[in-house]
Amino acid sequence: MLFCFSVVFAQEKNEVEKRVKKKQVPQSAKAWMKDAYEKKSRVKWYFQTDGEKKVYEAKLFWKNKKHSIEFDISGEIVNIEILIDQDEIKTHAAQKIQQYFDDNYSKFSIKKIQIQYTGNADDLEDLIDEDEHDEDLTINYEIEFYGKNEDADELWEGLFDQDGKLLEKRIVNIKATDNLDY
Amino acid sequence: MKQFIFILATCFTLNSYAQTRSMGGFFPEASLSYKISENYSVTHKVESQHGLYDDQKWDDKFEYNHSLTDLQSFIGKRLSPFVKVDIGYQYRIEEGENTHRPIQQVSILQRSSMFRIGHRIRTDQTFFKNEKFLFRARYRLKSQIPLNGVSLDPGENYLAFSNEIIYMTQDGDDDIENRLAGALGFYIDDKNKFEIGLDYRTDDYLVDNRFRNRLWFKVGYYKSL
Repeated sequence: MLFCFSVVFAQEKNEVEKRVKKKQVPQSAKAWMKDAYEKKSRVKWYFQTDGEKKVYEAKLFWKNKKHSIEFDISGEIVNIEILIDQDEIKTHAAQKIQQYFDDNYSKFSIKKIQIQYTGNADDLEDLIDEDEHDEDLTINYEIEFYGKNEDADELWEGLFDQDGKLLEKRIVNIKATDNLDY
Repeated sequence: MKQFIFILATCFTLNSYAQTRSMGGFFPEASLSYKISENYSVTHKVESQHGLYDDQKWDDKFEYNHSLTDLQSFIGKRLSPFVKVDIGYQYRIEEGENTHRPIQQVSILQRSSMFRIGHRIRTDQTFFKNEKFLFRARYRLKSQIPLNGVSLDPGENYLAFSNEIIYMTQDGDDDIENRLAGALGFYIDDKNKFEIGLDYRTDDYLVDNRFRNRLWFKVGYYKSL
């Protein structure tokens, strides 16, 4: 139903996530975590699926930031997402993202921003343990935002590239609130 | 149930030295919600209080008593993914006099990465045959915390905690009621939720020597179509 009212390339986010024990996680994922986040022992593991894509996700606090590290089903790293504040988006990208909101929504508010690093396992490891930003790493911003315009009034998840250009967006379905309202 | 009655009796025995009144029992409730258009929805709810203990009774304090049954219907409009307004009507079946109650409410959803909170601001007016109407203004905060992972998915359980403060006034007399509740929730799926827990209500704060405790063993089913 929601789909009918959304814009052309909007999909819906319907992920199911479950907490899993460390022993259920592929060995290669655990090995990568140990190499990158050397002394970190408090890692929570999750299994997540949207029906098609299946991933493992490690969540932890690292240098006072919330990190989520996604691995594919075989244990290969997919990306690292770090929760950031709005003022941590690079200036030129922030301006373009702001322009996107101004141009497309009469009302909007940003709920959550994650900087997303995608690349090969070694470069991603260096990013964490050496603080080295290899130029081959792809940087995107995943932004959850509320946006209202003439066609839609929804919570969205948008993926913006490092220059602030929107790559894709999808509707975030909010679970029923009947038990909170009545 | 025996354990529940024991807890009930213990709690209220401690209170019996003060000038308080205590009662408790079983409180089932069920709601059915469905959309009638993109932004409008309808909710029907039935809730019923069955007294199992009342310290004001001289003879048998543990005697079953049907306290009341409420039949409610609401029509709601979603103003945004986070804000919903409702108007509703309640018919209360109670010994002595059945009453009519219009209800107005605003619900605001607050989300965090680990839980969500529902804020509910409600006003209602209860009409009686031979008395002036009762006006109440209420605020409830209810949190829903997943017990498995950071998001609530089908088949998982959650904890629900809520507190509601109610101010009421009738014919120049006013009073305050508080409702504190905790429940274990079963998220069968987004259209079926079941909650089981305790609901502790205190009222008559502003009336001398009338302070009242009520402890309800509550079960609730929330169904949406």
